[in-house]
Amino acid sequence: MRSRRRGNSVWSRGPDGSSGPSRRRVLAGGIGAGALLALPDLGSSAGASVSGRPAERYAFVYGTPDLDEAPSGSVVAAMCPPSRAASRPPVPVAVRLAAAPVSSADQTVTALATVDMVHDGAKITLTLLGATAPTVVKQGSVTVTGVPHDAHVLVTPVFAPGSAIISLVLAITVPVGKHMVRKAHPHTGHPVTQLATTWRSHHALAYFNQHSGAMTGPFHLSDGPSLALSTAAANGSDLLLWTTREPQPHDSAAVRAQASLSRLHVFPLGSGKARLSAAVPAPWPGGEPVATLATGDVARLVRGRQVQVCSARTGEVTEHEIPALREGRAKPSAVTMHARPDGTVFMTKPGSGVAVIADAADSFRARSHIRYAAPASPLGAPWSKAVLSPAGETVYVLGPAGTGGLCAYHAGSGKLAGSYSEGRQYHGLYQLPSGALLAVRPENPRLAFFSPDLSPLGTAETNLHVSAIY
Amino acid sequence: MTGYDTAGRIQNTYVSAHREFGTHPNFWIRYFTPSPAADLFHEDALAESRGAWDSGGPYIGVISAPRQSRLSGSAAEGHADAQAFAAALLTAYHGVRPLLLPANNQLYCWLDQEYSTSLSLSYWNAWASYLANYNFAGLGTYPLYPCLYCAPHSPYPNCSTVSKARGVNRPAAIWSSTPEPCGTVSKPPRWNAAHCATIGTRLWQFGEQGVCNLSANVDLDLGGPGFITARFCFRLKYRP
Repeated sequence: MRSRRRGNSVWSRGPDGSSGPSRRRVLAGGIGAGALLALPDLGSSAGASVSGRPAERYAFVYGTPDLDEAPSGSVVAAMCPPSRAASRPPVPVAVRLAAAPVSSADQTVTALATVDMVHDGAKITLTLLGATAPTVVKQGSVTVTGVPHDAHVLVTPVFAPGSAIISLVLAITVPVGKHMVRKAHPHTGHPVTQLATTWRSHHALAYFNQHSGAMTGPFHLSDGPSLALSTAAANGSDLLLWTTREPQPHDSAAVRAQASLSRLHVFPLGSGKARLSAAVPAPWPGGEPVATLATGDVARLVRGRQVQVCSARTGEVTEHEIPALREGRAKPSAVTMHARPDGTVFMTKPGSGVAVIADAADSFRARSHIRYAAPASPLGAPWSKAVLSPAGETVYVLGPAGTGGLCAYHAGSGKLAGSYSEGRQYHGLYQLPSGALLAVRPENPRLAFFSPDLSPLGTAETNLHVSAIY
Repeated sequence: MTGYDTAGRIQNTYVSAHREFGTHPNFWIRYFTPSPAADLFHEDALAESRGAWDSGGPYIGVISAPRQSRLSGSAAEGHADAQAFAAALLTAYHGVRPLLLPANNQLYCWLDQEYSTSLSLSYWNAWASYLANYNFAGLGTYPLYPCLYCAPHSPYPNCSTVSKARGVNRPAAIWSSTPEPCGTVSKPPRWNAAHCATIGTRLWQFGEQGVCNLSANVDLDLGGPGFITARFCFRLKYRP
């Protein structure tokens, strides 16, 4: 199963890769913008599944191919090797994705979006991959008509906990003018003439039903000119979407005064008509961690130290300071936030060497506060550099900048429980649903697996420079 | 010419930096949307500008550090990030009356590519093209110049990616984060920044707070031979 127009591709294939094109063909086919590989998760070597799910699962590796023949990212699927000596190579899955993949909260489904420019517009395809085999379990498409071939379409899939509906937030940016301009050459200072394009963005929504496979939409929003960057989250009944009007050069002072405000729109799932739209506090949306809470409200981790909880019912925003995250450094840090089934949220700020488990039902009061030495690359990809075990007892982090490796801390006491280092620096850390840890390093073998007690389980090579694991 | 970059508030940082290094910086480089720490300038550009003026370094360079996995991504992602960056710059420019464009009309706009991040050509070309062609404040002078902060010798694609860019998409400069011999703003090391094969390194982050055990919340930067960094930053005409 494949679609190809601008070279975007998703392959349906079995674990051995036999039903799809060969790995060589995948790479030779061009690719490059961001690829996805399927990587088997926990094999028999790591024992029974912690989560009670089937023991053999795949993880998906997103990144850029080694030999960057193609201009952006891909995905492979990989499995935890059964022994240190016999690793199984990841399986190519997709290339030239329109955006990074998104996984459901329970990590059983991963969604990929591709955009193909067709004769009457932009065809958006959503592909769902299962975790037990790197195969396509559902796929649907929608065509946004009237979109010119040089438009940019940014697709963000949004899972809704407790619902079969996946929302697609589309940021559609089209050229609205082309003209010749003169500007100074950066090195000579001499004026040069060039063709410049001006652009205008707006958003649209589409919805995909995981059960029926039906796609509805697109529903265009009248929010242009808007910044393409937005933030979205969903609960069992609503999609919450934060957008920002794009400031215009000749805005009046009154309009500029409102420039820092963004808007929140709440759409019933399946609908293109907002039931609520309101101005909300800064900062502008785009890239900040969000989590849907058990109440259905949505939390945004902003400014690296505050949680804004937005009521899905009224749009009202309540802000909570997280004192443990207040410390700043010269270097900015990635921050992450994940909601847990027990009503807590797990937040990390690796640049400050801090992880926090906070109670969402108690004004985000910290239940646990773990301090550790900052890793070597606290801002670089992959952004996941600290994870909490499924039972919530252990926090795993990348080792200190000086020694590398991995460390484990008791979540309750904050004390160091164990460490592992052979002198290598890892740049990303994930815990797979099986309980196995997957650490990412720069050179092959780029994928290193560890048991929950930090014993090495094995490694796997990949042709991708890894940006994220799903 | 030396200066600082920081994800902290300038007005909370410059006194301790002066105490530690005994001199003032020539410039500050600040984070803008989409980026961690972008809220500091975005939500209080006036206080940040006053801090820069009071520090003795009334020049403000601009950098954006989007979520790093996006840098491996598509043209649509690069375009969206550049659009937000330009909008944040415009908002700051409008928000602080004496904040002016550089006299040479060349504001260097840095994309933060960290050591462990891969940069795709699709992302870079869209990011760079949007900024280079942005009609800033409707002035018709197109003063934004795309530039890249990176570790040139990192095993991840950085220099190799931008070396394929053409025309206005070619970075005007590289800001190298390596090596890090440390030093101070009054006594920086001899110029020895890592460089890409085809694009010149103009700025060097020779000392990071964490690596060099600095007390002040600053990283230390040095302009290359003949390169006056402040000339490629926003400038404050008077104290806001």
